[in-house]
Amino acid sequence: MEFLHFVRRALVAQFSGLPPRDEFVRHALDAGVGSLPLLTLLTIFAGMNLSVQAYGTFVRFGGQDLLGLFCGVGGIRELYPVMAAVICGARIGATLAASLANMQISEQVEALEVMAVDPMRHLVAPRLWAVTLMLPLLCGYADVVGLAASYWAAVDQMGVNGGTFMEQVRDIVHLEDLAAGVFKGVVFGWLVALVSCYHGYRALKRDGAEGVGVATNRAIVHSAVLCIVLNMFLSALLYVR
Amino acid sequence: MAEQAPAITLERVCKSFGPNRVLHEVSLVLPAGKILVMLGPSGTGKSVLLRCLVGLMKPDSGRIFIEGEDITALDERRSADRDKLFALRRKFGMLFQDGALFDDMCVGDNVAFPLRQHEKMSETEIAQRVKEYLDAVGLKDVQRKMPAELSGGMRKRVAFARAIALQPRIVLCDEPSSGLDPVMSATLDDLILDLHRRYNMTFVVISHDTAEARTIASHIGLLYKGVLQTFGTKEQVLRSNGEAINQFFDRSTKGPIQVL
Repeated sequence: MEFLHFVRRALVAQFSGLPPRDEFVRHALDAGVGSLPLLTLLTIFAGMNLSVQAYGTFVRFGGQDLLGLFCGVGGIRELYPVMAAVICGARIGATLAASLANMQISEQVEALEVMAVDPMRHLVAPRLWAVTLMLPLLCGYADVVGLAASYWAAVDQMGVNGGTFMEQVRDIVHLEDLAAGVFKGVVFGWLVALVSCYHGYRALKRDGAEGVGVATNRAIVHSAVLCIVLNMFLSALLYVR
Repeated sequence: MAEQAPAITLERVCKSFGPNRVLHEVSLVLPAGKILVMLGPSGTGKSVLLRCLVGLMKPDSGRIFIEGEDITALDERRSADRDKLFALRRKFGMLFQDGALFDDMCVGDNVAFPLRQHEKMSETEIAQRVKEYLDAVGLKDVQRKMPAELSGGMRKRVAFARAIALQPRIVLCDEPSSGLDPVMSATLDDLILDLHRRYNMTFVVISHDTAEARTIASHIGLLYKGVLQTFGTKEQVLRSNGEAINQFFDRSTKGPIQVL
């Protein structure tokens, strides 16, 4: 019930006007630009690993030319959106939950209330917008970096024909697959921000520093679990005809 | 001319947390433009009382009127009531015990925050007002500093500047002198008296400091175990010769107020 009440208040706050600009920009930059180094590093290795794994299996029956197909389906449709959601979600979610929990235990949220400023509009709405808009961009970015890494490993390291690789990617990955990745990013982004804000917001002053830790931990775990579980249902919805 | 409503009226306010009774049938009337110093040992419900006044907590029973408007009748979950609650809160400024400064904003932005939220002022006017209030609390050249760079006393003074930035009608101070040296504590007392004289603000000051009560109070209350032991004008209370108030002012361990 408490969570549903929070969701209702968050939705009202999010869609009842533009979020405070400075807060939005700050969180968007932190969520987006701040996640790039980690996401780039991990997506490069995940992309290369996809090629290495596929090559090792496909080469046994002479199917190494199918690497583009595998990397397109596995990477762009599934791996990179979930990776972006889980990795960035953990990073962003931890930041959101810790900052809000810290504001709660140091009475900053109450200070806003006393100043007749709605904390949901001032604190939660800009965070929701920032992460909801940034995560799909990060998913798209992960697609590009991951595919480039797969290409480099397959073509430059394992001798797969580059033209064939890209032709197969183009055959299997259509515009709607990229759109589906972006759609997943929007859903994951909103969910990560919502769950993280919820855990941060419900921290109590009496919980002290431990409360910040608990809120952060719950935000990371719940965000990751929700994204992975929901990804399966979204994939079923989007790809099973 | 219609008589001005009291700034604060409490009618049999009760508040408990589980079996722990924090406020029990607290009633008082504080006329507008007065300074109430609410004394009492730690953990007797003074801060809870302050939170009830501003609607951050809802009493279990009883009513609280702010300038004649019943704040306890407003349900924060209903949007229409929430707007009314926020309108009522515009009458308040509050100094929290630990300052509650926004730690991602510099000092200048902290003090400017309520002005930017509620006043149609240019940035030049806001900067002028911020400087004026920071000067008033004895802080110079700190505008670009972050709260983490300040001492506890400085943070409290910045928080006080923020609390009075909108020149509210009622200022609630939760232990303003704790953590301050005696000179700064006296400076803050002078500032409260000055603001009271200039703008006729009503103050509710939570304190343990009897010297502060003697200096600034027009009214004194003593809260112990959730019960308002005594309340009245300073003269009435100091003349009353009540056991609890005498014990508190005499700093004695003998009397009705027990540590455990």
